[in-house]
Amino acid sequence: MARKALLISPELCIGCRACQTACKSWNQLPATKTVNKGTFENPPDLTPNLYNRIRYVEVPSEANMVRWLFVSQRCMHCEDAGCMRICPAPGALFRTKEGAVAFNKDKCIGCKLCVAGCPFDVPRYDENNKVSKCHLCSDRIAEGLSPACAKTCPTGAIAYGDRDELMAKAKKAGYEKLYGEADLGGLGVLYAFKDAPKLYGMIERPEIPETVLFWHKVLKPLSYIGLAGAVAAAALHYIAIGPKRDEGGE
Amino acid sequence: MTQLIRKATILEIINHWILAISFFLLAITGFGFLFRLEWMASIFGSFNSMRAIHNWSGVVFIIALFGTMFHYLPVALSWSKDDIDWFKKAGGYLSKGVKVPPQDIINAGQKLFYLFLLIFGLVISATGFVIWLMAGERQWVLISHLLHNIAFDLLIMAIPLHIYLGTLANPGTFRIMVYGTVPVEWARKRHGKWVQKLGY
Repeated sequence: MARKALLISPELCIGCRACQTACKSWNQLPATKTVNKGTFENPPDLTPNLYNRIRYVEVPSEANMVRWLFVSQRCMHCEDAGCMRICPAPGALFRTKEGAVAFNKDKCIGCKLCVAGCPFDVPRYDENNKVSKCHLCSDRIAEGLSPACAKTCPTGAIAYGDRDELMAKAKKAGYEKLYGEADLGGLGVLYAFKDAPKLYGMIERPEIPETVLFWHKVLKPLSYIGLAGAVAAAALHYIAIGPKRDEGGE
Repeated sequence: MTQLIRKATILEIINHWILAISFFLLAITGFGFLFRLEWMASIFGSFNSMRAIHNWSGVVFIIALFGTMFHYLPVALSWSKDDIDWFKKAGGYLSKGVKVPPQDIINAGQKLFYLFLLIFGLVISATGFVIWLMAGERQWVLISHLLHNIAFDLLIMAIPLHIYLGTLANPGTFRIMVYGTVPVEWARKRHGKWVQKLGY
């Protein structure tokens, strides 16, 4: 099956946050009481009950006194996902056939290592200490529907479809390089930015923490190689040289 | 009849067994998590209960490790020329009939092993507690996760050698973990300084 993705076009976003509401509605997530901090951005961050949100970035300049950028923030569904690499409980985080990184709370053991492995600060933990995040509406897309956020978006700022097709469409529209095109093996959420990603509050070059990669590539195999090596060395010594015996007074 | 002398106290024996069993549980559950072994998790119930066993065995391990400091730390820190010479002869393990210098109640190799275990045992425990109790603190957890696994790789190589040297490689040694006593003549050959100090 072709890998599915979302294409986010901040230029089309009007900041209505219907995506946030639709997501809560489909995933049956309760609302959270927040405090007005002088911005329309609300809630201020992802929570266990908020899988996606619109980040409001104010970028005033000489030429443009009121420049307001709206960016959809959520799990990026990385091809090479740091959370999945570091997770010790099989099936707690899993890849759907559409390419989404979904979760199973029954298998989650609440260790929060995924929080450390994620380059985008996405996973949250609910009141039962279980992982909680955007799963690309894995239950909807498995039935051929689009995710709730994309379905409800009135301007097409969140578009869902085959990843290759979305990319081709964006290139045709004049976006030479999409954010997430190649990062981490290719993200499942692509961004058509007209300016530097940093301006939109995105990490310039997202990467899985080097310690996690080193652990995965070196320390993991070294554990059983080391154990086998030590046992083999002991056996070899026993055969080749033998134990220190007292009898006979050598 | 062979005359026996006490090499390990009852407390020492019990503490060492607690340390050994907790390490064994920690190591196999650790492998279970490292390679996501479903069959290992099913032995312990589930990944959830395996996590509880791993974490609480860690509590037992650090307490027992702390206990060892009363048993082995002072002697492990006292080094003499005989200890250095012991290493120069590789403890007599690499060929037959090599005479090694007289040793304390634990030999130079055991001293080094103890210091190694103490350092990396403390590292693996401390980082384990960070991963457990500071879950979600990204930078703390990342560095701890790295150190936890480095210490694991080192310990999982060292412990099998320690077990081999305490059993098959040196017949007569394992009884210390059971009775705490050894024949004088056995001890004289391996721990000459200590036997002399006892006045035999």
